[in-house]
Amino acid sequence: MNFAPLRRAGVYVFLSLAAFISVFPFYWMAVGSTNQSVDIVRGKLGFGGNLLVNFQHLMSQVDLYRVFGNSFLIAIISTVLTLAISSLAGYGFEMFRSRIRERIFELLLLLLSIPFAALMVPLFVMISRAQLTNTFTAVILPGIASIFMIFYFRQATKAFPRELRDAARVDGLKEWQIFLYVYMPTMRSTYAAATIIVFMNAWNNYLWPLIVLQTPDNKTITLVISTLTAAYTPDYGVILLTTVLATAPTLIIFFVLQRQFVQGMLGAVK
Amino acid sequence: MTSLSLKGIRKSYGTLPVIKGVDLTIDSREFVVFVGPSGCGKSTLLRMIAGLESITAGDLEIGGKRMNDVDPSKRGIAMVFQSYALYPHMTVRDNMGFALRFAGKPKDEIARQVAEAARILELGPLLDRLPGQLSGGQRQRVAIGRAIVRHPDVFLFDEPLSNLDAELRVHMRIELARLHRELQATIIYVTHDQVEAMTLADKIVVLREGEVSQVGTPLQLYDDPDNLFVAGFIGSPKMNFLAGEVVDSGAGSATIALVNHGGVRLTKPLGGRLPQKGERITIGIRPEHFGEAGEGTDIVLNVDVAEHLGSTTYVYANAGGEQLIIEREERHMGDTDTLAVSISPEAALLFDSAGKRLR
Repeated sequence: MNFAPLRRAGVYVFLSLAAFISVFPFYWMAVGSTNQSVDIVRGKLGFGGNLLVNFQHLMSQVDLYRVFGNSFLIAIISTVLTLAISSLAGYGFEMFRSRIRERIFELLLLLLSIPFAALMVPLFVMISRAQLTNTFTAVILPGIASIFMIFYFRQATKAFPRELRDAARVDGLKEWQIFLYVYMPTMRSTYAAATIIVFMNAWNNYLWPLIVLQTPDNKTITLVISTLTAAYTPDYGVILLTTVLATAPTLIIFFVLQRQFVQGMLGAVK
Repeated sequence: MTSLSLKGIRKSYGTLPVIKGVDLTIDSREFVVFVGPSGCGKSTLLRMIAGLESITAGDLEIGGKRMNDVDPSKRGIAMVFQSYALYPHMTVRDNMGFALRFAGKPKDEIARQVAEAARILELGPLLDRLPGQLSGGQRQRVAIGRAIVRHPDVFLFDEPLSNLDAELRVHMRIELARLHRELQATIIYVTHDQVEAMTLADKIVVLREGEVSQVGTPLQLYDDPDNLFVAGFIGSPKMNFLAGEVVDSGAGSATIALVNHGGVRLTKPLGGRLPQKGERITIGIRPEHFGEAGEGTDIVLNVDVAEHLGSTTYVYANAGGEQLIIEREERHMGDTDTLAVSISPEAALLFDSAGKRLR
């Protein structure tokens, strides 16, 4: 008996189910943003006509421009600094020979196993002593030397042709010029993939900003969503609309950079 | 153009020596080829000249100036890499002008130099393309163009043709020879392909395990190798080696018995050291130097395969466990099972048990 069609059907069912599980929350979020809270609680799954009302309610409760501005500022600065520092470190680890290089790298990887929860309190004490609480610097600073990103860049740098560096040295470039004018443009797929990962992490970061950002004028979009859910009678329409707005930038960045993201994750150097 | 001199050049990685004392002089406008098997240190030596590897000991002089610690860009060299090493995000034009840009040359000067190099290498229509849009041969020409625009004193080529297919390799080899004549440049060229070495070089440096095995013109190395290694490395098909034992020695000649061929004897006049009686000797003979039976010391071989190449025929044969290649002028060898050939004393080269040539 030929089981191939049956197996194929099984695969389709499984993939359809997985696709549904992946996409449905986004659909429900989008639908919810157009409905009243009461409809959402009742489980209405079709689009409604309450989008503008929800938007007005949101604008009346939240200084949306400021909140988005805060989130963008933190995410963009975090991304730029994390990419700069991690790629420099990854480049250095891969390009320069040293007897203690691997020991230091192993130590860094070991540090990855320490959960953030264990670092939170000492980190807060440090930030507080540096009088940086309730500043964007406090949110950005602890994340910019990302060990995972250093590891990612070092692995990607293994695919960077060493002869390009040699050619650049013969052409008269200093090491920083090689990094800037040869390495960075050559590794743009890697940077694109890293941009998505770091930006999403910075944008979605909740716990650490919750701890260090204390005044409403400094709040980010993730903190605002949690504030909205904490109301006595939460307006789910408004909450889901805010969620849609909060998701949009990461989706846009992903779609713009998705080709490079795939190349970058595959370690392609073109 | 400029001459180069290497005096006692050494390189070690930790305690591991990779270049074990190289002394060499390269004259101005000379085309010198470093050749040797993989891992012999030829590329490392080239990179040391380029300044991409540090020199552990010894002196490197380019144009009479000590260059050991001078930055690669200030040594007056340009290098063409095996993988071409073109900057993938830049057009051909930008790739070629990149070094000049960093040397602070004005834009019109860069444009002029790039145009001139493009003319020499016929790259004009490709100037606005990216390296990814070029074929292997075109990329190679761009890599050479990038070297030309800098007007270096010395060109360094690191196995530049090894990534090309056979036909293109022959074409580029001719191009390189033409370029050398046109530019009148000093060129140091690294390859493991002895055909490239023979066809391009004014002077070949054969390297083995970090040491110079022999230096000479291609025909010197071919006709008069100093040792067994050079004799076996230079020449395609390879030189044949037959095992022998000295049965008589004295009065300016040695008589050798070919131990795998029924002990037939060959008497060779020698001007230098005479081997001891009973000493093990290797007899080297090029495939084209075997004579017709009756002209010298005859040996009979069992024919394995005959390759008819049109102008010549290579016969692969064996006897007494030795594999030999014989070049014959006959276009058709027929279905012979055996072949009788002779070895003349003039054509036979003798090597002692340490592989050193006995002359």
